[in-house]
Amino acid sequence: MTFRKFAFNNVLRNKRLYAAYFLSSLFTVMVFFTFSIFAFHPDLNGEDMSASASRGMNIASGIIYVFSFFFILYSMSSFLQSRKKEFGILVMQGMSMKQIRFMVFLENMLLGFFATLGGIGLGVIFAKAILLLAENVLIIDGKLDFYFPLKAIIITFIAFIVLFLCISLFVSYVLRSKKLAVLIKGNKVSRGEPKANLFLVIVTIVLLAIGYATALLAEGVAVVVVMLPVVIVVCIGTYFLFTQLSVFIIRKLKKNERIFWNKTNMLLLSDLDFRMKDNARTFFMVAIVSTVAFSAIGALFGLQSYLTASSKNMNPNTFTFSTMEAGEEQKVALINDTLQEYQIKSEMEHTTLRYYEIGGDTILISKQSDFNRFARLIGENTIELRDGQVVVVEFKGSAYGQTEELMKQTISLHSGRKLKPEEIVYSRALPEVDSYYVVSDNDFQQLPNSLRSTSFYAWQATDGQENILAASKKLYDLVPREEIISGEYNEYRTLQSYGPVLFVGLFIGIVFFVSAGSFLYFRLYMDLDEDKQKFSSIAKMGLTDKELKHVLTRQTMILFFVPIVVALIHGAVALTALSRLFYYSLVIESIVVLGVFLAIQVVYFLIVRHFYTKQIQSVV
Amino acid sequence: MLNVKQVSKIYEGKIAYRALTDIDLTIEEGEFVGIMGPSGSGKTTLLNMIATIDQPTTGEILIDGKNPHRLKKDELAKFRRRELGFVFQDFNLLHTLTVEENIVLPLTLDGKKVKDMKEKANEIAKKLGITEIMNKRIYEISGGQAQRAAVARAMIHHPKLLLADEPTGNLDSKSSKDVMTMLQTINETEQTTMLLVTHDPMAASYCNRVVFIRDGKLYSEIHRGDNRQAFFQKIIDTLSLLGGDANDLSQIRV
Repeated sequence: MTFRKFAFNNVLRNKRLYAAYFLSSLFTVMVFFTFSIFAFHPDLNGEDMSASASRGMNIASGIIYVFSFFFILYSMSSFLQSRKKEFGILVMQGMSMKQIRFMVFLENMLLGFFATLGGIGLGVIFAKAILLLAENVLIIDGKLDFYFPLKAIIITFIAFIVLFLCISLFVSYVLRSKKLAVLIKGNKVSRGEPKANLFLVIVTIVLLAIGYATALLAEGVAVVVVMLPVVIVVCIGTYFLFTQLSVFIIRKLKKNERIFWNKTNMLLLSDLDFRMKDNARTFFMVAIVSTVAFSAIGALFGLQSYLTASSKNMNPNTFTFSTMEAGEEQKVALINDTLQEYQIKSEMEHTTLRYYEIGGDTILISKQSDFNRFARLIGENTIELRDGQVVVVEFKGSAYGQTEELMKQTISLHSGRKLKPEEIVYSRALPEVDSYYVVSDNDFQQLPNSLRSTSFYAWQATDGQENILAASKKLYDLVPREEIISGEYNEYRTLQSYGPVLFVGLFIGIVFFVSAGSFLYFRLYMDLDEDKQKFSSIAKMGLTDKELKHVLTRQTMILFFVPIVVALIHGAVALTALSRLFYYSLVIESIVVLGVFLAIQVVYFLIVRHFYTKQIQSVV
Repeated sequence: MLNVKQVSKIYEGKIAYRALTDIDLTIEEGEFVGIMGPSGSGKTTLLNMIATIDQPTTGEILIDGKNPHRLKKDELAKFRRRELGFVFQDFNLLHTLTVEENIVLPLTLDGKKVKDMKEKANEIAKKLGITEIMNKRIYEISGGQAQRAAVARAMIHHPKLLLADEPTGNLDSKSSKDVMTMLQTINETEQTTMLLVTHDPMAASYCNRVVFIRDGKLYSEIHRGDNRQAFFQKIIDTLSLLGGDANDLSQIRV
């Protein structure tokens, strides 16, 4: 048995021990590879793909790669922790630390090589699925066909072999020469019980309070300014939350014998205390990583809903056509023909919008009957005006108009009478984002000459709505771009250009969330053998099934929900701050996104608890 | 007190293996009984069935006239917790708890009052001479101390029957002697019925009666007179008949 053979056999004959580490490496490679398949897709790299989008893809690959590095490093080091005793035995047999490092290096390279190959293999299998998903999210014209991703394979292979090489070198230095006695004792001795410092506990609470208050009170551009400091303060606060406040609380509970000595509390709390250091590290990472995932996905959905909502609001009509140029009749006829061709039935209104000089500004003044025709077209309220009465109309849902200023101005008529606006009306009847006046039809006749006028047509589809996109596409080619607007088509174009951002964001968010899940899984399974031993000895003394399940449920519940609940609260605060940046309520989007994540976590918890309980019950 | 009637145990498998055949054993209230026999003779199987950890294939086991094997799983767990006490070769103490917390664990699981638990723990610690180590963690104490803590845990709820599986197996001769003397004292002062499985003739010599098992069957039993030394010699003689040479005792170990 050569040394190399010993290292290889150690892996091959110990499959169960290495499985968790291997699978998480495999998963990481697969994630990177599927992303590369998507990023290097020939259909996406044509001239349609803007430079900024492809730069975005590269940055995203970079983020995933760096994250993979830390993820694998973490998995590796927690894997080595669980093998302390094995190293102790080897050292006792006379193995030098240098040889152990070399053994770990060989093992790691072996695992890394197969994880890379396996990850690429699995990635190819899932490639079609990811391309289908991309197609739907990206709103791509046509399809993303499956292709043989040679470039992605080569890049992934090289990137991860290098990564595993770095980690193998790095990790063998993590294994600094520890005392033999410490190694042999393995997991029997707690890995240090952190001390809770009352001062730091107070600092924790203050930091989190300051961070939250700042994030929640900032408004508008101030949100961007305070973002970085708040993130730093909350990160430090979260770290202390898990390393200080939690220790403080557990110690307080343990000191109170009425709680600690009550039924299964003793088992639960003593374990929590014993594993505090490991737990704190995992909890912190899971909380931060999940917060990033929640905030990123929440923000992207929020932004999408903001964009579509404002686009819908701005364009209540199916089509509008406004022009100051000649050839108006032909273009309108063309539009009507196209609508007919696509079997879209619609109602149409036409008016001429006239602009007047009021108080040094150019302001639209419309007459009541015109306003009402267009209001009726989109189903909004009409208005009734007496002669001499004026209202200011502000575009509903948009705060750009200078309504205040208009309310102070007066309109002079031919007759010398001056009209004073009395009321503000909110409507989307006319396509004027700035506020404007509406006067009675009689008064309108007496207005002075207008400065300029625009001919405005609006169509409202009543049937054949499904063909609007196709018709719009054709019309955008036929009619000058600045004259025709289709709300639906604009929204489609916005979503299409926003698609890659959404997809990449979603992808990274999901990767972060899934890896947070596997951190938790690692943490739990690291203690499996210890728990098995513990529960089998308690069971001999007598522990009912119910009590066993009760302890295990609470143990896994703390592990799965404490960091996630912290992340949910962080995420909710972040999304609230974001909504204040845009002055746009993200309540529904936040609830949906955070709710979905919570639901996934609950399902994950139930599955893991089921298998963990089964494992423990098998030895009881 | 304990009545084992015609108990047999067959382990099912590709090749069915008969571990015990028609064992009859009666133990009176307050007796201290040892079970000895070579490796693979079925000692531990018998103990596990009495401990209700394992089920007999045929026959029945009565503790105080009741058959605990008829109880439901959860009731059985509570029965073990309240009526039985266990001492194991490898102590089975939880290293996340202090000695005191380990000792009160059976009561804690039963939801007893903290004050009562404290009192009982202090009382038993004084009796077993482990008061000074009550707040230490398991990795900070010696094997002999750990086994005494384990006995304290097994005794804290005054069980009807104390079952010990090789309690001296991991201890040096001095600690073995201490633990066995302690068990004997408890047996005498508290009148606790005790059943001990062991390889160690020295440990067995502290019992009132030793039952020998060979190949899953009762082989013989001997009673202790007044003299422990003579009893020790009788045990060694019986063992040599049972397993071969008198000077080959170490072979029986494992």
